[in-house]
Amino acid sequence: MPVSGARRVLRWLAVRLAGAVFVLWSIATLIFFALRLVPGDPALAILGGPGSQASEEALALVRQEYGLDRPVSEQYLLAMGRLLVGDLGTSYSLRQDVLGLIAEQFWGTLLLTVLALATAWLLALGLATWATRGSRAGRAVASALEIVAAAVPHFWLASVLILLFSTTLGMLPPVSVPGPLGLVLPVVTLALPLAGFLAQVMRESLADALESPFALSARARGESETGVRLRHAVRHAALPAISLSGWAFGSLISGAVVVETVFARPGLGRSLLKAVTDRDIPLVTGIALVSALAFVLVTIATDALDRVADPRLRGS
Amino acid sequence: MTAPETAGTGLRTAHLASRPGARPTVGEIISVLILLLIVLAAVAPRLLAPGDPLGISPADAFQAPSWQHPFGTDESGRDVYTRVVHGAGESLLIGLAATAIGLGLALVIGILGAVAGRAVDFATTRINEVLFALPGLLLALVFIAIVGPGVATTTVAVGLSTAPGYARIIRTQIRAVRGSAYIEAAVVLGHSSPRILGRHILPNALAPVFVLATLGVGQAIVWASSLSFLGLGAVPPAPEWGAMLAAGRPYIELAWWMTVCPGLAIVATAAASTALGRSIQARTRQGDG
Amino acid sequence: MLRAPHTFSLLGSIAIVGLLAGCSSTTVTSDEPVEGGVLVYATGDAEPDCLDPHVGGNYPQALLATQYLESLVSKNAEGDILPWLAESWTESPDGLSWEFTLREGIEFTDGTPLNAAAVAANIAHLKDPETGSSTGYLALGKVESTTVVDDLTLRLDLTAPDSALLDSFSMPWLGIQSPTALERGEEVNCASPVGTGPFIVESWTRQDSITLVRNEDYSSAPEDAAHDGLPYLDGIEWRFIPDATTRYAALQSGEVDVIDNPQPNSLAAALDGGEITALLAPRPGASNRIELNSSKPPFDDPRVREAFVRAAGVDEGIESLFFGTVDRSYSVLSSVEKEALSAPEYFEGDLDAANALLDEAGWTERDDEGYRVRDGERLTLSFPVSTNQSVPAEQSLFEQLQATTKDVGFEVILEPLDLSSWYGALFAHEYNLVSAPYTKVGPDVLRILYHSDSTVPAPSGYFANLAQLKDSELDALLTQASETSDPALRGELYEQAQEIVLSGYYAIPLYDQQNNYLLGPDVRGVRALPTVSTPTFHDAWLAR
Repeated sequence: MPVSGARRVLRWLAVRLAGAVFVLWSIATLIFFALRLVPGDPALAILGGPGSQASEEALALVRQEYGLDRPVSEQYLLAMGRLLVGDLGTSYSLRQDVLGLIAEQFWGTLLLTVLALATAWLLALGLATWATRGSRAGRAVASALEIVAAAVPHFWLASVLILLFSTTLGMLPPVSVPGPLGLVLPVVTLALPLAGFLAQVMRESLADALESPFALSARARGESETGVRLRHAVRHAALPAISLSGWAFGSLISGAVVVETVFARPGLGRSLLKAVTDRDIPLVTGIALVSALAFVLVTIATDALDRVADPRLRGS
Repeated sequence: MTAPETAGTGLRTAHLASRPGARPTVGEIISVLILLLIVLAAVAPRLLAPGDPLGISPADAFQAPSWQHPFGTDESGRDVYTRVVHGAGESLLIGLAATAIGLGLALVIGILGAVAGRAVDFATTRINEVLFALPGLLLALVFIAIVGPGVATTTVAVGLSTAPGYARIIRTQIRAVRGSAYIEAAVVLGHSSPRILGRHILPNALAPVFVLATLGVGQAIVWASSLSFLGLGAVPPAPEWGAMLAAGRPYIELAWWMTVCPGLAIVATAAASTALGRSIQARTRQGDG
Repeated sequence: MLRAPHTFSLLGSIAIVGLLAGCSSTTVTSDEPVEGGVLVYATGDAEPDCLDPHVGGNYPQALLATQYLESLVSKNAEGDILPWLAESWTESPDGLSWEFTLREGIEFTDGTPLNAAAVAANIAHLKDPETGSSTGYLALGKVESTTVVDDLTLRLDLTAPDSALLDSFSMPWLGIQSPTALERGEEVNCASPVGTGPFIVESWTRQDSITLVRNEDYSSAPEDAAHDGLPYLDGIEWRFIPDATTRYAALQSGEVDVIDNPQPNSLAAALDGGEITALLAPRPGASNRIELNSSKPPFDDPRVREAFVRAAGVDEGIESLFFGTVDRSYSVLSSVEKEALSAPEYFEGDLDAANALLDEAGWTERDDEGYRVRDGERLTLSFPVSTNQSVPAEQSLFEQLQATTKDVGFEVILEPLDLSSWYGALFAHEYNLVSAPYTKVGPDVLRILYHSDSTVPAPSGYFANLAQLKDSELDALLTQASETSDPALRGELYEQAQEIVLSGYYAIPLYDQQNNYLLGPDVRGVRALPTVSTPTFHDAWLAR
């Protein structure tokens, strides 16, 4: 039994990893061809942008150096071959190693998104608990807050928070500074809309959980309402939302584009925006692959956790 | 950017049994009234605001709300109230059409994955994973770069980036319904597969998804406004709410009404449709019980 | 996004140019300068891809290069050429040969001496296709060869007389770098170029900041600097804050000391008084204009162009959108150019005249939406707008233009595009109207913008003559003006040339290219260098 169990786990993992490789390859292919449909000559991106007045020689040199003069199929095979050995290539606009550039900015974005995810979680849990609690008025307020929070665009929220906490109150810096203070506003901006959303999700399962037999039996055993909530209901309600974390992480990368721009934080989101504008194909591909990889890994990890938590899934 | 699809994991598979619910609550009445008002604004804006949403008057720029301009004026002296009313059509169109595109795509992927064979399921799951793993904004940015800006582009871009989430939920829902007792009963009764799919699985699996889509409308408008912030949303001078929000942001300190008023319109739409969606869901659930 | 104009500067051919630098030194106090401190500068311009301005050559690079590179010559506020790294120069009578004598005893910050061979290496670097230079490459188009005469004397031989050579050498894009540093290869040199300037590039954290430290051996301040010795500041932290509202909030909260590209309402507040002060330094060369593409219908008909110009009332909009901080321009040249011809008579609003002109041009019918129609075709104008180059106020102004011209039956379609797509639309001639900023020292910018040669695209597809003006009389005037060394005659020729452009209704001038800085309460001694109006911090100090 343990042997076959281990083999089954290994097999599951192998299938998932193969799936992950497929996903990454598809994304690289998709981006490769999509960006070739975008108007604009990549050689110009290399020569200082589309307004460049580079000479014919300079253009020819660049086209040759980057292989842009070869047939598209050949360029594609070359690019995929390089990706296979983990070479993300050289950024067109920044003329630097893409892997190095990403490594430089990955941690800032990771820190921002992980903190935002955690904050959103806490806020959502608070809101959802509040929303399922007795008083009608309280419930109405909580659900109004959820809806408003989920319907606020990041860029507007960022400006309001800066106006309130930096300009008016002078409590927090409006731009990234070393240390935790500079992270507060970006994290809150990113977390609030997500919290509104997660709260709506959690409330559904929390309401279910409170009516479930185990909650009833806990009450029957004489546990306090708070105890029931904390020990059983919240834990139960959190499960489906935990499996959302992979998705939430992905959506936060999109949000990071806006938040990093407004708060002038270095990071992958801002790089992505610039890379698309510059038609910097290697950099766009690199960032897309890295965020896809993060997404895939998080998904595999949460699925694995699910398998551990729910033995029924192990057979499938 | 939050997206609506995730709520689905929290949704249960409610067996749709239409039993008229109790009397409508106050919240439901208010939601319906708000939605009717927004639809009226979208269909016949001149009834609510006879003025010209594009009529400029630079000398009257940045005026605070007053009797004459209940929502104030913008940087070109245009009446914000008139623009919000006239913007309802385009905003609602973006919200509804983007959600429809997202759902439509998701239906194809989700249904194929759930009812066809293992190989197709594997393929559609991978397709979905690919779409899911791509940051939604990247998808939108690249699409806009290829096709050029505009309402249609924005709508499709937003729709594309919400599809994977819906697809995932549809697939889960269909599987859950397929495994339930009443489907087994239908199989035992010897009903044909297409009939089971059409008559039993789809209606029951999709009902909660459509409720979920009510959340999506507001989200899609917010999404589109982020594209406007990046300079790639609705084409000026269209009074689309998201574009108004983005255009008013530089003046947030000087003229709060330029962002707060269209923002409230978005929130009202999102809130009313979500509240209504929830009510419908609650009623179907009661019907279940 | 709120990226500031991404401009290219180009070759000029007339040397003596009046540059009435509009920099109001707001920081004159009786206080003694204080040594030390790090000034934080926040820019809204794009982060350069490469800190070596020889590579490419745009305004964001010029802003930074001014801090660590110096040029052969400079200019004072009156527009006269000043010696800088070159002590003196002579031009041969036929104008085909120039000799520059360099200042003695100057070293680059890596210890390499500044000598004739070093300058020759810089010219070779600029002319090397592998460098990928645009601005510098074009500026040196007539330089055929360089000869090291002696240690400090360099001779340049030209293919044709080029009286704009000194103007060209004054620009930051032709800053002189250490030849030793250039040999390190592009990737290294892009990250840490080495010059003779008051500050040294110490480190660069992408998307965040560049750390500049004081050059402890600095000795080459230009004549018009307020002091001679070392910079007062210990260094500059150069931050990239793309969002204008955030940038202003950072200045207000004291996180940063100086910002550029403020929003008009913030600028207006600073001009009204208070702790934050403003430094206004309009860029030289062309004004901000809207060009009318005369190469295709409907603007191939001068009557339609005039009708559009007459219908486009922008004065009120400029006043309200810019909060009174800018003046309406009636010239295609910047107000800092002495030769600028201002002709308000061509831009007086007249809707009746516009309607009559359109009727005359055959656009007589109107459709249901009120747009004019001719032979079943609507009077539609496509207007691609670069969202990276146009600030929000400018985009609003274009919307107002759209509304005012609708009254006489024009349908203007605004297309917000990112920079690459925008250039794509221009290269494909898919535009009737366009606004493109242009920075260059001197009135010779007219030749770049309106000579028919500039309708021929560069290898990249780029062309500067966006109005597609092809007029042999104008060509002759511009060429003659670029070859004469008589200032009076040249002024006259440029006036005639501008008259042709303005009276032909090829462009609607809006205002000078905005180049404004806001200074925090502690900042003293900042001035804009009168070449391309970039700020210099050699004289700056912090009163804290």
